[in-house]
Amino acid sequence: MREITYSEALREAIRQAMLKDKKVIMIGEEIGQGYAGVFGVSKGLYDEFGPKRIIDTPIAENTIMGAAIGTSMLGLKPIMEVMFADFISVCFDGVLNQISKMRFMTKDQYSLNLVVRLPGGEGAGTGPHHSQCLESLFMTIPGLKLANPSNAYDAKGLLTTAISAGDPVLFFEHKRLYKTKCDVPEEEYAIPFGKAKIVRVGSDITIVALSYMVSVALAAAEELSKEYGIEAEVVDPRTLVPLDEETIAASVKKTSRIAIVEETYLRGGIGSEIGAIVSEKYMDALDCPIKRIASKNVPIPMPASLKDEVIPDKDRVVKEIREMF
Amino acid sequence: MKYDEKLYLTFLEKLYLVRRFENKVYEFAERGLVFGSTHLEVGEEATAVGTLLNINKDDYMIATHRGHGQELLKGTDLKAMMAEMIGKATGICGGRVGSMHVTDISVNNLGAQGIIGATFPIAVGVGLGLNLLSDKDKILIAFFGDGATNQGTFYESLNMADIWSVPVFFVCVNNLYGMGTHYCSTCNIEIYKKASFFNIKSGFCDGNDVGAVYEKSKELIDYVRSKRRPAFLELKTYRTIGHSAFDKHPYRTKEEIEEWKRLDPIKRAEELMLSLGTAKDKIDDVKKKVDAQIQEAAAFALESAYPAYEASLEQ
Repeated sequence: MREITYSEALREAIRQAMLKDKKVIMIGEEIGQGYAGVFGVSKGLYDEFGPKRIIDTPIAENTIMGAAIGTSMLGLKPIMEVMFADFISVCFDGVLNQISKMRFMTKDQYSLNLVVRLPGGEGAGTGPHHSQCLESLFMTIPGLKLANPSNAYDAKGLLTTAISAGDPVLFFEHKRLYKTKCDVPEEEYAIPFGKAKIVRVGSDITIVALSYMVSVALAAAEELSKEYGIEAEVVDPRTLVPLDEETIAASVKKTSRIAIVEETYLRGGIGSEIGAIVSEKYMDALDCPIKRIASKNVPIPMPASLKDEVIPDKDRVVKEIREMF
Repeated sequence: MKYDEKLYLTFLEKLYLVRRFENKVYEFAERGLVFGSTHLEVGEEATAVGTLLNINKDDYMIATHRGHGQELLKGTDLKAMMAEMIGKATGICGGRVGSMHVTDISVNNLGAQGIIGATFPIAVGVGLGLNLLSDKDKILIAFFGDGATNQGTFYESLNMADIWSVPVFFVCVNNLYGMGTHYCSTCNIEIYKKASFFNIKSGFCDGNDVGAVYEKSKELIDYVRSKRRPAFLELKTYRTIGHSAFDKHPYRTKEEIEEWKRLDPIKRAEELMLSLGTAKDKIDDVKKKVDAQIQEAAAFALESAYPAYEASLEQ
């Protein structure tokens, strides 16, 4: 097998879907001519598929979202790229009141294939308007599926599933992952939603980590093992909605401890939700309080001296987990 | 336009259907059968009738929150419409959403908007979809009110409607008030002029004159269909009852309402028909037919059951 980057894996998923199904299109700012995607995901696709499949737009997220909604209503399968995940605020009505409610409101008259790709996270020192992880904002809205690939293999497989999911999918990517590589099969494959992956087996604590934080959790787990003899099991949910509660529960029952590591803000975060589920249903399995390790409740700052304090890193994960023993 | 009795009898039947439907919904609201609010278009019927008689069954439509007439005339079954109004399982959307959100894909009604201004981006998207699918037979008619034209989406979407040359007929039902706020106090530019700023062919017409609405729509719809370009029509009209069925309209005078009742589209159509020689019996027959249909639909709705909760609704 060959290694390719997360960006290349996303592109391969889009390209293979577009070759197989003429209904798959891409819509967004600077995705065709110009930059070919600010993170290069759509590089080469405009030349291959032309302006009727790779659709450049003005800077107008509301109407870009409307274009995705309207085309999907007619049976097309749009993949909308929001240049930076933060910009979804501009077209929030489309997410909150339109795509998420359409199946319910019409009593299943619609089954929309619509993917909204959201490059999020800190990674370029771009400050408060271009660096956020926002998954937790959308977890609360019924009717959306949330995918969160942490590596190139999952990126390709989850995006393939998302493109034909029959429900709107918010697809959360991470800036720090675009250049990371791993083994990715050349042929098309789909990873089902709602199936977590145990990325490290351990017996002493369950760490649920998401997106880029999976690699942070793995690095912390290695140090915890080497320096302190603590064996962490790292679980990557891969999709937040639907959430593979079963895999998380089985791991917690084995380890009796759980920490959730995320780049989303602490308050009302993913850890708040997963932690609440665990405390409601699996309290008996726990030996100590649940730990949420998340970005502090601070807008993401620009300089390293500040942002390194806000966003969890390996040292913070190690320190906070040691306190649980 | 030369008087065409058959066409005017069709106008009258449709106008009267919408009026009687709205009267029945109002009655249901007073009886406490409509949960929450309902927006009626009494007085505005000609805007839906005159436009939609030029629209084909497989053309697409987006309706407004005040869209019962639009939805009925696009072809949704009267009984399923009536049942939806009072939240019954036999409603077109299973009774889940009621008055404000009728969607019926079987007649290409893509849905009614509860979010003012959300129509425009989706309308552009549907038009783009038609272009991408090279579907040159269909167009979209998108209804919205005067209030929606002050949302930011209106401006960015009209720009994109122009650059993407979408086959969309934008119809502004200007009933003078966004809830209780007069449209002249929210913008100094006439609404149809805002559209012409974006190179969009734009027109204006008396929305209470069904013949005029029909003629003007025909011209603009023919243009959209043949040129595959957007067009825009502002129809000035008036709702002679409140914003919602429970609105006592403190923001306008009795005199104003009476003046507009004098311009009632049904009254005007009937007077014109009688003056041009149509027999009163013919008019009465149309009304009787509609009354029977409304009665039957209302009975069906009342007899139907409420939807039951299912765990599968959780997403």
